[in-house]
Amino acid sequence: MPAIVQRRELGAGRPVVTYRTAGDRAMLVEYGDAYPVDLAVNFFVHATASHLGTHPVRGLFEIAPGLRSLLIYYDPIVISQEKLIAAMDDHHADIPEPASIVLPSRQLRLPIAFDDSASREAVNRYRITIRPDAPNVVDGNNIDYIVRYNGLANRDALYERILGTTWWNAFSGFYPGLPSLLPLDPRSELIGPKYNPARTWTPEGAVALGGPCLVVHPIESLGSYQIFGRTLPISHLSPRRVRAHRIDPILIHPGDRITFTAISEGELIELRRQVFEGRYDYEIEPGRYAVAEHFAVATEPAVVAEAGRRRAARAAAQQLVKIP
Amino acid sequence: MLEIVDPGLQTTVQDYPGRLGRQSLGFFPCGPVDHLAFRAANLLVGNRLGAAALEIPLGRFQANVLHAGTIAITGPETHLTVNGKPVSLWESVPVKEGDVVASSVIRGPGYRLYLAVAGGIEVRDAFGSRATHIVAGIGGFDGRALERADVLDVVATNEPARRKRLPVSLRPTYSNNWEVETIMGPHADPDFLTNNDVEHFLTATWRCDLNSDRVGVRLNPHRFQWARETGDVAGGHPSNVLDNSYPLGGILAYGDVLTILGPESNSSGGFAVIATIPEAALWKVGQFRPGRDTVVFRAIDLAQAAALHDHVAQVLDTRHLDRSGNGG
Repeated sequence: MPAIVQRRELGAGRPVVTYRTAGDRAMLVEYGDAYPVDLAVNFFVHATASHLGTHPVRGLFEIAPGLRSLLIYYDPIVISQEKLIAAMDDHHADIPEPASIVLPSRQLRLPIAFDDSASREAVNRYRITIRPDAPNVVDGNNIDYIVRYNGLANRDALYERILGTTWWNAFSGFYPGLPSLLPLDPRSELIGPKYNPARTWTPEGAVALGGPCLVVHPIESLGSYQIFGRTLPISHLSPRRVRAHRIDPILIHPGDRITFTAISEGELIELRRQVFEGRYDYEIEPGRYAVAEHFAVATEPAVVAEAGRRRAARAAAQQLVKIP
Repeated sequence: MLEIVDPGLQTTVQDYPGRLGRQSLGFFPCGPVDHLAFRAANLLVGNRLGAAALEIPLGRFQANVLHAGTIAITGPETHLTVNGKPVSLWESVPVKEGDVVASSVIRGPGYRLYLAVAGGIEVRDAFGSRATHIVAGIGGFDGRALERADVLDVVATNEPARRKRLPVSLRPTYSNNWEVETIMGPHADPDFLTNNDVEHFLTATWRCDLNSDRVGVRLNPHRFQWARETGDVAGGHPSNVLDNSYPLGGILAYGDVLTILGPESNSSGGFAVIATIPEAALWKVGQFRPGRDTVVFRAIDLAQAAALHDHVAQVLDTRHLDRSGNGG
């Protein structure tokens, strides 16, 4: 039995769809080809997920997005794989081409302390207990490695890129509430190779870069992304959670937008204390996001040219940098 | 109603089917690794099949009974006693205040016992389920494995206790050398695996690594040929893909090490899932003994998976239970 069940061209600027069998109770629906991460494809993924949420298909009981895919769980007693594909075909016909998509999307602002002591402690433990000669760890830190790997002049240039764009939550996964963020401004693209082997400890609140994604660690955990700062807690899973998280313990949802504001570590510690004491109100604005806004910036010739120059600089820099 | 004396290796409270509907937020379902023995234990004490019960890996466990009730323990053969006197698995057992329930390490085939109590174990619901998620520290008993002196409450029940027994002919058989049904994909041939790779996957005898648990069962490394050179933008190894949500029971190619995704796995990641174990065969994975058992995979299609599902449903049909008078 072939893993690929069907492939469909949707046309009109929309991605190709590949239906893949994922056992007898799930199907993986992939969008686009395996080309580099394309935000337009991710917007299409969210538009489809959102449409399925408002136009439910009988027998389909769970939808989990990835960067360019949807994993769909279904009850095969209620709906066959064949009928599920037909239902998805119908849904795809209702999704507009990416530039016309408008999505439910909240905007959140999070403070970040770069090069904080908890991140340094994680890197230092790694150096001592896991891999003393890791090429990405220099002087108990991996930030300079990110700088070199991306062909940047210095740490400030890295921080400017992180602060200078709105980050799009392409999907949540791995651990409960862990967002995988991509920059809406292509000039802020960054790439980070993963640790090899992984760290055994990463502090809660750590912000890290792996592949093209920036993540925030919701819980103390393993980790293989290059770590560069720390923010506030983003998941409060304990039943004794603080007031701000009683209604929704997961702060960042798929399709939310995040901006970061740099603060000192002392300020971050004070804000984290306010969170634990139930005195902190996260900055969250409800709203919608018109994908056209992204394309207006991302297709501007000056932006395209600058993003291209930065990508070329990164490619050149990577030739000179060791992969962990 | 139960006071834990010896919690064993890593005994947890689970329910079935676990924490569904939240994978888009990063929650994998949790729940028992062997859903068949788990539900059978509930069936025997008259519970809802998904009610909260204990999962006891390796088999070693001891608890004091604080209130009279009915219990049932299912799973592989082991030395099971109440007050030192042997009792049978796959049967409901009346217990009274002051009794000591004990089971010993499973020596023969199989790996996990399930203990259900009439009424179901009473723990707080966390995100729609009582299943323990050890990694995130939520669900079950305080979000963790049981420890000595923990006291587990039981939901009060007015149901009269009845002696019930699952006929031997319906009980699953355990082995050290498993054959497990699997459905190829989502990332298999022709774009990820070559024909040779698929043939190797389906003919090789895979060994369960000692480092296997509720998160995943690792199999011995093997170098596939792969149908492509690299993972392109996702990474150097051909098993790399742009991050996807993973299916429960997926067989992940983590580089050259295959891992069966357990109920407490991470919910997504950037590796190819070359095959997926159908829901009705997943219980077998819960009985793999880490470091000892072997497994051979047999490819089936969706129609065969549906037949397998019907077969498991038969086992759990309450009409098949033997009954013998009133107990407790």
